Amino acid sequence: MRRLWGWFEERLGIGPALSGFVDRKIPRDIGWFHALGSATLFLIIVQVVTGIALTLSYVPSPDHAYESVLYIDATPFGGFVRGVHHWGASVLVIVIVLHTLRVFVWASYKYPRELNWVIGAVLMVVVLAFAFTGYLLPWDQKAYWATVVGTNVAGQVPIIGGPLLELLRGGAQLGAVTLVRFYGAHVWVLPAALGILILTHIYLVIHQGIAAPPRLKPLTEPVPGEPRKATYEREYAAEKRAGKPFAEALYIDALVALATLVLVSVLAIVLGAPLDAPADPNSTGFVPRPEWYFLSLFQLLWYFLGPLEPLLITVFFLVAGGIFVLVPFLDRNPERHPRRRPIALGIGAVCIVAIVGLTWLGATGAASGLPTVAARPGLSAQELAGLELFNTVGCTACHTIDGAGGDAGPNLSDVGTTHSADELHEHILTPDTPNMPAFDQLTDQQVEDLVTFLQAMQ
Amino acid sequence: MADPSTRIDESDAPPDPGRRTFLLRAIGGISALIAAALAIPVVGFASAAGWRAQTPLRLLGQSVPPTLRGTGWVSVGKLDSYEVGVPQLVVVPKQIVDGWVTREDDVAAYIYRRREDKVVGYDIHCTHLGCPLSYVEGARRFLCPCHGGQFSREGNVVSGPPPRPMLQYTTKIENGEVFLGPLEVEE
Repeated sequence: MRRLWGWFEERLGIGPALSGFVDRKIPRDIGWFHALGSATLFLIIVQVVTGIALTLSYVPSPDHAYESVLYIDATPFGGFVRGVHHWGASVLVIVIVLHTLRVFVWASYKYPRELNWVIGAVLMVVVLAFAFTGYLLPWDQKAYWATVVGTNVAGQVPIIGGPLLELLRGGAQLGAVTLVRFYGAHVWVLPAALGILILTHIYLVIHQGIAAPPRLKPLTEPVPGEPRKATYEREYAAEKRAGKPFAEALYIDALVALATLVLVSVLAIVLGAPLDAPADPNSTGFVPRPEWYFLSLFQLLWYFLGPLEPLLITVFFLVAGGIFVLVPFLDRNPERHPRRRPIALGIGAVCIVAIVGLTWLGATGAASGLPTVAARPGLSAQELAGLELFNTVGCTACHTIDGAGGDAGPNLSDVGTTHSADELHEHILTPDTPNMPAFDQLTDQQVEDLVTFLQAMQ
Repeated sequence: MADPSTRIDESDAPPDPGRRTFLLRAIGGISALIAAALAIPVVGFASAAGWRAQTPLRLLGQSVPPTLRGTGWVSVGKLDSYEVGVPQLVVVPKQIVDGWVTREDDVAAYIYRRREDKVVGYDIHCTHLGCPLSYVEGARRFLCPCHGGQFSREGNVVSGPPPRPMLQYTTKIENGEVFLGPLEVEE
């Protein structure tokens, strides 16, 4: 074995480079949190490997895509490989966000690593583009409708929205051309971009060295009037002198990679790779919802109203994206320790709370349309019958009770205290506002049940 | 010091700076030319759907229904099979073009007999972001399951974010039979 290696090494001559790589000193306090970056890289490798395997049986055509996915799931290990690819994507999004947070909290993006933040931010966008193009591919209901909504969001961009939407769909409509475009982007265009960006990102980490965790008190004495570059170099040299070999960090990276693989494998085995009913462009009952990592954006679209909505959405996305990419140039505070950056960390915390909150609202909110009002305890049989009608004939489209329902009409949570039975009767059968339709198709008994139920709302 | 050709190879003297500049500029120029010659057709082809888009440029962007556009007219049944004032979902086979495929495929539409002799056909998609609308008879509303959009039977926005009324198909009545034509998408 040793002789074989010797034979190769004589020709390759990479031994000294390898030794230099694993032995070189890195700051001592680099530890578990830094493994988030390597875990991101590891998950991307897992996605590439499982993705390549999936292309061996997948057909990007509306006629065959869904069936070919069923075929993959029925092939030995096929369901597992697809499960790892599916859950790997979710875990990747989480890990890349945590990695970004680590870099943000420790201000690793400050001089001289501004460029690597920008590259990392673009990488995050590329990863989300992977996710968006990837989940159309099974051509199931969720895939089809999420892509309808997603491409229409692109269509909201002022002036160029139409061409942009058609560029994504490969035409005005969503069909065979769209699917093969998304496939081509997912397996060729985006991986090419990803590869170039990751190589640059990692080159910069190796070339500049890993940023040391911030210290309240620097290792070396500051020299007054010294240029920024000299201060940085002196301090980083001191960090390396007190440092440890890179192999120590690689060991942690390996452990974390192993744990990550176990996690996605368990998810793939226990939960499997989900697959909805086949895509049906004519299904009027379907409730489109994106994958969880786009729920915050989906939920955000609730809050832009009025004729200028498309403009507001676009400006919002451009400003938010621009701020994210340009963080190192907007944050001029030279301090790196979290305790000396209250404003930056405060803004970051607000963003995180907003994103988590929107995701939570999106995940737990009822579908609009016809939400269901839950029964209050102690309702009589007739009141329950009225509630059943309230939920089914369409009242909840406009009226809210106990937080469930629309807002086009008044909230009815305590209508029993404000309206008599006769008034309710009259409102249901002969409403005095043109916005409310007359429910005169209901039988006398049904109206009676409904009124009894509404009377109990107090 | 003998002949100039060996001197260039063996001495440590820097190369002729004029020559070096020329070479680097030439390499750069040729590379740029090659890149452009490749990029124009490749990017042009890949982005053709964008620059040949049928959707007009608008100051404010908007959604486009994803339905594969059918051509020609298709019967959706007798006029008398539709109750006045009650929109009804129909799914009819239409000749559609899907990229390189022309085939018959089901297309859904809401047929609404507004008056005795007046029929409207609606596209099923919300004009906000294209989610599928369901019609609720009691409330007499088309409801969107995504962001709370609501449309009246007449297709007008009642509440929520949709920016414009429901899109309509062209319809005609011949010999008591209703026919559904192409989608009225403004050019």
